Amino acid sequence: MATDFDVEFIEDTEREARFLVRGITPAFANGIRRAILADVPTLSIDTVRFVENSSVLFDEVLALRMGLVPLTTPEGEFDEDDTVTLAIDVEGPATAYSGDLVSPDPQVEPADENIPLIELKDGQRLEAEAEAKLGRGRDHAKFQGGVAVGYRHLQHVEVGDDASEYGEDEAQIVRGVIEDGDELVATSEFGHDLTNRYPGKEVTVEDVPNAFVFHVESDGSMPVDELVLRAVDTLSTRADELREKVSL
Amino acid sequence: MMVPVRCFTCGTVIGEHWEEFKARAASKEGDEDPAAVLDDLGLDRHCCRRMFVSHQDLVDVVSPYQ
Repeated sequence: MATDFDVEFIEDTEREARFLVRGITPAFANGIRRAILADVPTLSIDTVRFVENSSVLFDEVLALRMGLVPLTTPEGEFDEDDTVTLAIDVEGPATAYSGDLVSPDPQVEPADENIPLIELKDGQRLEAEAEAKLGRGRDHAKFQGGVAVGYRHLQHVEVGDDASEYGEDEAQIVRGVIEDGDELVATSEFGHDLTNRYPGKEVTVEDVPNAFVFHVESDGSMPVDELVLRAVDTLSTRADELREKVSL
Repeated sequence: MMVPVRCFTCGTVIGEHWEEFKARAASKEGDEDPAAVLDDLGLDRHCCRRMFVSHQDLVDVVSPYQ
């Protein structure tokens, strides 16, 4: 399919974005959503060697907690088998935070520094070496780069006649993004209620075919726009692979 | 025990907000409205909100029995 998609950003921050894609089939939209969740490789702690752990949590529980901490993943710097070894050494009484994980590579750092890993009491100590590896969301949720990824149809709003004076005074709830002429408006701007935006008017709402509004959040391992681009890249790599395998 | 690092349902990293939430709404000193604090922290899905509302720190309870 050699068609171009029309992409328009409605909201764009480092961790959260909302964008409209036109000319996309529902199947392809879902493919992108699934690729964002399951196919973008991110770094996460996978193997932990404990030197000392006298905290109240078992080694394996602590290792899982460390694994769930998102690590920043620079693009193209790491191959499938590369590892980064982070170290942690905290002595109680103190709380070990994700920010206490010391990385040898400034490009690979815990994305959030304030996640409590374990509260250490007097005399307890945590010392460990943690090996981060590249993985995909389909193998373990800790490798998921995108969280709460979803899409909705773009809604087209047609303003009609004045509403009948004695009609029922009901709220008309719409969630997502509406298209009013050429203008794109997030429904949160008017409290998700069309009667706020068009008081006293009859309005009809229709799905715009093949136009989807994506809402993507990143766990911090990479900016959202990069996450989406990498997801689309994995889709095309897999499509190429398939073409190669089935060609004679 | 310790607060979960991520929301069980959607995977958002919530652990980093716990101490602020605890100080402001889930302890004797903090008497703010928990709903307002959660809004403030940017946890607007109910899956993430229940993680905090239903959480209880148990390290202090368990630690004498090491």
